[in-house]
Amino acid sequence: MSILTIQQLSKNYGSLKALKEVSFSVPEGTVFGILGPNGSGKTTLLSIVMDILKATSGSFVWMGQENSADLRKQIGTLLETPNFYHYLSAQENLRIAARIKGRGEADIQKVLELVNLYQRKDSKFSSFSLGMKQRLAIASTLLGDPKILVFDEPTNGLDPAGIAEIRELIKTLNKNGKTIIMASHILDEVEKVCTHVAIIQQGVLKTVGSVSSVMHQSADSILEKILVELSANDLVALQHILTEMGGIENMVEAEHELHITCSSELTAEQINQFCFSRGIILNKLLVKRKTLEARFLEITGKQSDK
Amino acid sequence: MGELLKIEWLKIRRYTAFIVMSLFFIVAVIATNYIVFSVNNNMANNMGNAISMMSFSPYSFENTWQTTSYATGFILLLPALLLVMLVTNEYTFKTHRQNIIDGLSRQQFISVKIMLALVFAVVSTLLVFVTALCFGWASGTNFSLHGIQFVGFFFLKAITYNLIAILIAVLIKRTGFATGVFFIYLGGENFIAKMLDLWSIKLKQDNGTDYGSLGDYLPMNAADGLLSFPKNPVTNMAMNFMPTDYIWAILPLALVYLLVFYTWTRRKFIHADL
Repeated sequence: MSILTIQQLSKNYGSLKALKEVSFSVPEGTVFGILGPNGSGKTTLLSIVMDILKATSGSFVWMGQENSADLRKQIGTLLETPNFYHYLSAQENLRIAARIKGRGEADIQKVLELVNLYQRKDSKFSSFSLGMKQRLAIASTLLGDPKILVFDEPTNGLDPAGIAEIRELIKTLNKNGKTIIMASHILDEVEKVCTHVAIIQQGVLKTVGSVSSVMHQSADSILEKILVELSANDLVALQHILTEMGGIENMVEAEHELHITCSSELTAEQINQFCFSRGIILNKLLVKRKTLEARFLEITGKQSDK
Repeated sequence: MGELLKIEWLKIRRYTAFIVMSLFFIVAVIATNYIVFSVNNNMANNMGNAISMMSFSPYSFENTWQTTSYATGFILLLPALLLVMLVTNEYTFKTHRQNIIDGLSRQQFISVKIMLALVFAVVSTLLVFVTALCFGWASGTNFSLHGIQFVGFFFLKAITYNLIAILIAVLIKRTGFATGVFFIYLGGENFIAKMLDLWSIKLKQDNGTDYGSLGDYLPMNAADGLLSFPKNPVTNMAMNFMPTDYIWAILPLALVYLLVFYTWTRRKFIHADL
């Protein structure tokens, strides 16, 4: 069953088109990543499906039903920033959320313990660090044990340990049968956590599918690709000779090195030998499997959306 | 709606501004009326027979309902300001979004704010009723409910101020700016109303045309116009110059304005991007 089905969704702000006829479905039981550069329309999309913004055109349904307040009570959502009453404590804020969701208050202690905030339950929200605010927001989404969770940049503001914890939590929640929709601009995060991904750029859906299918789909080749990072003292000369080498499909310069996308049939040894034979000594040669990052950059280019 | 009001209570019961302004309002209601009561007593004592002859006591029964409602009307901007803060806080903290995300409908969110305005108006009116009763007893006159309709007019004024406050908060969203706009609107409309009132007097004097005080037909002043200081020997002397208070025209107009504020606030919140 599809948890969320979006059809031809568009949102205009005057002449600015923030979303352009986006359509996709989120299968049940997946961790569905919505990936895109800053300003690509991810939060706009999630805001529309949570009734915060009104769509200019198009429609969506949750589990085959029209959006409604009662339906939203069954979804745990963290959208953009943690939104709480600054003058109230963590516990008092969660009490309000629980009452709105029509849930008992029994869950409050459990969810606070889950995000390691129980010791600070009586502290005012305004005294929390950014990471603690984020963890409280995640705790709030877990109230009432909803089957669907929507996270917009869930690791925003967390320290490395906090990021790892939240990623583990998301994986665990998914293993327990929850469907998670997660917007992020952090490729590594989506790759590590998500089973499915939709890539959005400038409000346009570029691709959608399982992470593995998105990584391997390519317009001009069905062969698996690899990403190679390499550098030499004379980067210009290296770039020049590589244009003469077969099997290289894409080459970009990044921080004093070159990143090339090429056929997986090409080996490190072949590349090294080719460069050496042309008089270039490599000081870095790193072969990576095709990552989502490479695929993302292929699809979106290298610029943030303005 | 009961459950929604309980949730509102959870939001505001520990809000310092709510506690401080509520206490200040209660003190201000008592203090304002006590000042009017004392000034009148002092005048009566000092002027002795002259006042006795006029036999006017603003807090005697019959007058106390009108005097208390009129005097307290001046501090109704306190609960209205508190409402501006409570609603704009939701925008500042973005909790208006979170409440919707968590499962309130837009209709429920704005309806409970309007209900809160109603509760504030009811509580203010009860306070006026009790204050009028106490000062009435203190005046040493016999209890009477004659003139109680002015407490009803006070309620209408309170709900008008409160709904204007919520409308401005929903339109402006930012606390400081909304508070400023509320005061500018209050001052601006009162200034225009005074100009119109003077014009009304001039019309009556020059042509004998009496349309009532024209300022009373403005949105905030319509509810204001229903409340005045009780008729006394001084106002009686000026009666011939003053336009008539057409309550039969002002009252329905005040209700129409209320309906406009209510409808505008709801439509804005229900249809706008949050």
